[in-house]
Amino acid sequence: MTPRDGTDSLRNRGVEPFGMEFSEFADRVAAVEAETADLEITSLVAGLFADAGDDLPVVVRLLLGRIVPAWDGTTLDVGPQLCHTALARAAGPNVTADDVADRLAETGDIGAVAESLETGGQRGLAAFGAADPDPLTVADVDDRLRALASADGSGSQDRKVDTLFGLFNRADPLATRYLARLVLSEMRIGVGEGTVRDAIAEAFDVPVDAVENALQVTNDYGAVAVRARDEGKAGLADVALTVGRPVRAMLAQTGTADDALDAWAAVAVETKFDGARVQVHHDPDGETAVYSRNMADVTDALPEIVEFVQDAVDVPVILDGEALAVDDDGDPLPFQAVLRRFRRKHDVARMREEVAIELRAFDCLHADGTDLLDTPLRDRRDHLESVLPTGVSPLTITADPDTVAARETEALAADHEGIMLKNPDSAYTPGKRGQNWLKRKPEVETLDLVVTGAEWGEGRRANHLGTFLLSARNDAPDGDDFVTIGKVATGISDERLAELSDLLEPLIQHQDGTEVTLDPAVVFEVGYEEIQASPTYGSGYALRFPRFVAVREDKRPADADSLSRIERLAGE
Amino acid sequence: MFKAIVSASTLRDALDSVSVLVDECKVRLNEDGLSIRAVDPANVGMVDLSLDAAAFESYEADGGVIGVNLARLEDIAGMGNAGDLVHLELDEETRKLHIRIDGLSYTLALIDPDSIRQEPDIPDLDLPAEIVVEGNQLDRGITAADMVSDHIDLRVDEGAETFHIEAEGDTDDVDFEMGPGDLIHLEAGPADSLFSLDYLKDMNKAIPGDAEVTVELGEEFPVKLHYEFAEGLGQVTFMLAPRIQSE
Repeated sequence: MTPRDGTDSLRNRGVEPFGMEFSEFADRVAAVEAETADLEITSLVAGLFADAGDDLPVVVRLLLGRIVPAWDGTTLDVGPQLCHTALARAAGPNVTADDVADRLAETGDIGAVAESLETGGQRGLAAFGAADPDPLTVADVDDRLRALASADGSGSQDRKVDTLFGLFNRADPLATRYLARLVLSEMRIGVGEGTVRDAIAEAFDVPVDAVENALQVTNDYGAVAVRARDEGKAGLADVALTVGRPVRAMLAQTGTADDALDAWAAVAVETKFDGARVQVHHDPDGETAVYSRNMADVTDALPEIVEFVQDAVDVPVILDGEALAVDDDGDPLPFQAVLRRFRRKHDVARMREEVAIELRAFDCLHADGTDLLDTPLRDRRDHLESVLPTGVSPLTITADPDTVAARETEALAADHEGIMLKNPDSAYTPGKRGQNWLKRKPEVETLDLVVTGAEWGEGRRANHLGTFLLSARNDAPDGDDFVTIGKVATGISDERLAELSDLLEPLIQHQDGTEVTLDPAVVFEVGYEEIQASPTYGSGYALRFPRFVAVREDKRPADADSLSRIERLAGE
Repeated sequence: MFKAIVSASTLRDALDSVSVLVDECKVRLNEDGLSIRAVDPANVGMVDLSLDAAAFESYEADGGVIGVNLARLEDIAGMGNAGDLVHLELDEETRKLHIRIDGLSYTLALIDPDSIRQEPDIPDLDLPAEIVVEGNQLDRGITAADMVSDHIDLRVDEGAETFHIEAEGDTDDVDFEMGPGDLIHLEAGPADSLFSLDYLKDMNKAIPGDAEVTVELGEEFPVKLHYEFAEGLGQVTFMLAPRIQSE
């Protein structure tokens, strides 16, 4: 492949630029999929990148199963049904979408199903002297799939099927395999973000760290690959934040005050709020947007945060903080109140009456044209306080354990979750759960609960019971002996899962699909972070972050925690 | 500049023939009438429509192009009874189409024509067979074929001078034979091609039952379906690419 300058002008003249054919992309992806050694995979991917020419950003994204960069909120919005319908139409005579679904159920891989369908029977008008020239290129696939991903949801289902059908119809069997996977956003070729990062470094002879840093700032693998190729290490160092484009949030590990005081000269202590992490992008001459921790756009759901920042800040900024639900007195409400507001698309105005949200900003990534990622926390805080007069989470920098303890007592007394401990001299490292931020919370509580049901697992865990239904002992005068309170599926190793299945299988009373009901006989010790009121379970409560701790072989169901104890704990 | 008055039924007939293939299209506002050409996203089906200025109650245009969301415009046209007159006027400044119909005023935001797929070139095909058949008959054959298969075979028996609509299902078959008595006209020639019913059904939906449909057919070649509406002042040609015949 050779670089093709002037592609844009060709496009403008209506001339289709030639580029990497999708079948070549598919051949090379197949080689990657067949390879098992990590280093060899990286080098195959690097070779593909080096040969991708103008298609490099697209090739990079497609390898990761993405049509748009991670920071972009649009999604392909193509469900399995739509994909099956399009495949069926591209297949030989009288294959239905249900047939495709049946084959998928057998093989578990839409790619293998697509490859087996003998697509391509429909001829295009092009073959008779009109419209698009064959063959299908990587750029064609990208164009067409992007059209499907347009965020406004325009375009009928019929036209989406037509578009997909057109693509499947133009692809050879191997290309169909990867096209189908791409459409359902699951490439499954053993290439993750780490491999792509390493391959960019290898292909264009730049340090992995430089690639990693540029990725953290831009969240755009395609753009970073192009920059690595065209501008090298220096270009990667130059990438800047863009107001309006979310960055991954810096994350915290759990830790203790002792850990923090041992490691750092001083500790920055902040309140840990029981809210939802938000990143606010504000341009006084443009838009104000709010993103969740997963970079989803939640602007419309949280209008008061938008209004607050618009009123308070008069320079372009990127702020990091928590959206906190508060009652009429300004006191914090539990996390579940925030959840009622987050991602809400309808009735925002009415919910706003019921649950008020406030911003507690604790970091500033960009202020008035200056990126602050490499600036120490203590200086970022100065920027934060200078751009935002109110709504900033209070910060104490201290080396005194008693001051830390006092801040914790104070935070807990004010109904907050606990405290955060941060290294005041650390940079902001997007997406990393590093040593520089520690979350300290009160010890996790446990409950002893009876296992009254379970679900068979999926995939690798299909032969084991995977998700366990937990119940509390009902000590009320009437009703069932046990009332459900939640499910636990995390904190369990595969080995332990097998043991638990052996333990519980003899207790199965009956089975409905993958769900089974169990004789109440086994007691689990389960850790949790909070008890919430919930209509989902019989007890009227649910556990937040339930985690399997141990089987309490010393306890019988009659010794399990009671509903009245749970009511008491929830009320605290 | 574009200003026109047209009956709701004529407008609907015109829009229907295009909306079976695409969601949005370019409309050419020529001095002597409207024209639309569009191809479906898979490049398999194409429509070429023209509506003469004489089909309108009044018509003034100077050759502009607008981009239209067909579903929205169809919805608006659907608000009137067949005989109601639809007033259309383009606001060049705001790029919006003002529509009045029976006391209802509607402002339709237009789409940038450059964002709509290029209009297709029409392949110049010389197809050996030509069948003229009533829309109702074609509909009957397509409906029958749809009961057993998702593909349909259109074929001319040169010796018997008959036109066949055939479909082969997994278990059941359909053959709808039309002889000289059933057809308005037949020019026999070597013609046998297989098509996707998905497309042909959609095209068939737009064809009025009482229209005379001219079917041009070849061997493993696209089919052309031509009919008129608005008392001969509107013309539609569909073209559909064939499927490869399995032996």
